[in-house]
Amino acid sequence: MRVTEDLRKQIVGLSGVHKGLTDVVEHDAETLLSGTLDFEASADGLETITASFEMELSIPQVFPDRLPRAREVGGRIGSDYEHLNPDGTLCLAVPIEQRRVFLEQPTLLGFVDRLLVPYLYGYCFWRKHGYHPFDEAAHGYEGILRHYVDMLNLGGSLQALAVICFLFEHGYRGHHDCPCGSGRIVRACHGPVLRIIHQHHTPETLRGDFLAILGICFAEFEKGRLSFSDPLRNQLIRLLKRFKV
Amino acid sequence: MSVHFSKYNEFLELVGSEIDIPPSKYQDAVDRYHAVGHWLQDGDYLGCSRELVISPQGSFRLGTVVRPIRHGIEASYDIDLVCEMPLPKDLTTPRAVKQMVGDRLREHGTYRRLLDPEGRRCWTLEYAEQDGVGFHLDVLPAVPDNDGLQSTAIAITHKSAAMYSWSASDPRGYGTWFDGKNAAAFARVVVEQKRFIQRQASIIYASVDDVPDQLVRTPLQRSVQLMKRNRDLHFNGPKKIDHAPISVIITTLAAHLYQGEPDTHSALTGIVGRLQGHAALVEGREIDPSLATMGLIRRLPNGRWYIGNPVNLAENFADRWHEDDHARARVFFSWVAGLKQDLLNPQPDTDPRMLKENLTRVLGTAAVAKHFDVLVPSAGAVEPRPRIHINSPAKPWRCG
Repeated sequence: MRVTEDLRKQIVGLSGVHKGLTDVVEHDAETLLSGTLDFEASADGLETITASFEMELSIPQVFPDRLPRAREVGGRIGSDYEHLNPDGTLCLAVPIEQRRVFLEQPTLLGFVDRLLVPYLYGYCFWRKHGYHPFDEAAHGYEGILRHYVDMLNLGGSLQALAVICFLFEHGYRGHHDCPCGSGRIVRACHGPVLRIIHQHHTPETLRGDFLAILGICFAEFEKGRLSFSDPLRNQLIRLLKRFKV
Repeated sequence: MSVHFSKYNEFLELVGSEIDIPPSKYQDAVDRYHAVGHWLQDGDYLGCSRELVISPQGSFRLGTVVRPIRHGIEASYDIDLVCEMPLPKDLTTPRAVKQMVGDRLREHGTYRRLLDPEGRRCWTLEYAEQDGVGFHLDVLPAVPDNDGLQSTAIAITHKSAAMYSWSASDPRGYGTWFDGKNAAAFARVVVEQKRFIQRQASIIYASVDDVPDQLVRTPLQRSVQLMKRNRDLHFNGPKKIDHAPISVIITTLAAHLYQGEPDTHSALTGIVGRLQGHAALVEGREIDPSLATMGLIRRLPNGRWYIGNPVNLAENFADRWHEDDHARARVFFSWVAGLKQDLLNPQPDTDPRMLKENLTRVLGTAAVAKHFDVLVPSAGAVEPRPRIHINSPAKPWRCG
């Protein structure tokens, strides 16, 4: 009940700014909000773009633990655009990156202004110029893995696996050995970034990223391109037990 | 809400790219036809000593592909392939050539499933829809035609009832002729367009050099595409369709009449204006001497019409225009007048909603819906828009 009341307030707050997003339909597990999203957006060093999209947001009951899914329903974004999910929803960013940006302004309005509008700006820009103004993430699990490698400046997939295992098993622990393998403790090594990532994750995004990075590493392991050390293997066995029903 | 007519060329070019074949689909089609080509080349054919040659023809070869509209909705792409058997025409028969190719296609498990019943001139492979966009590959069996005017001439098979005959064709010669008309404009746009296509389809083309020439579009090619799209919508209906101008007439006349205009709007305006300059021929009146000397559309002394194939002047593309009291000629010129009215002369005081309806009617729903806001950026907005400055944005991803 409390969540629903809060969500209502958030929808009112959003419609106060984006006056075309007004149609609300409530379902059991989610609320559908749709209408026209008009904006004039700018970014440093880039042109101002004015645009209008017909949007539909599916806001889960557990929002903001899980973020809304957004769909463009006016037929403007076609299948030639690569950043659409298989179900046709917009692929705003890898999940942990979505949470980082969302948590800068953790409201429905923040979701629209900080994630959705920049995505649509990027789409308009790409249509016009043929490239992305804000770069683009690699597709699939690879995009998730690359995100960790880039954020933490890691050497490769095995280090990324160690990091996500660490976060999944312990959360943030400043006095533990840093999972990057430097031999220093977390606090003196990747501590600041790990703390931020830990704060951004939800149990759901953490599980998802663990499975994604494990999936890539396991494929490489099967091809004989990498091997797991004994401690890492034992840790993986411990963590995988969490998935048993 | 006002209409930005200064953006009209940009709008036409965006619609042009919308009704075109996208690079991923193009590459898909090329891969498929290479596979069909290899399969046909690996076959044993009685009397063939050299390898047969497979090559695209028609709009796929000319860069004037348009996503077809059937029954008002966008349908599969048509891709024509010539399968030229190295057999002397007088030592074989059209029936044998057609059957050899058909038999070979049926030997392949997949092609046997994809194959339609025998067509008049071709064998059609129907590729199922992928991401909602399918295509047909039409394979036209042919042999070299030494009776033809040029070394590129071929004879294709024609089936009528159960009778087979040869008919003359020269798609390669025609392609070379069209390329000549298009060459200067191509040279002007190729570098920039390939760079654009590579950036937009970087997954398919690792470098600019990998982008094939066949994806570059000049104002001439865009004009032909827009005219064909309008034709498909204008003549959409069971009776009308019989009199619709055929693609080769549109393409031939446009290529003759293109005068190197730098963008699509001016190219189309020029072409359509010069086509309209021929309209007096319907009443048997004189036309402007500068057009008359070109002799592109002519009335013959017997009242019939003539539009010559530029690589074989004996072939008359307009050989049926006199039928039904010149029905095809009449609808051709009324279509041209409509093109000028609806597509090229939007009035500055037009109400945006009317303009959108009108353009939707002449260019198609999907393409116009996608790009109309180039012309009327504020369509739909009543309140001032929220202004947003983007800081530390996320990179877009795709989960699958």
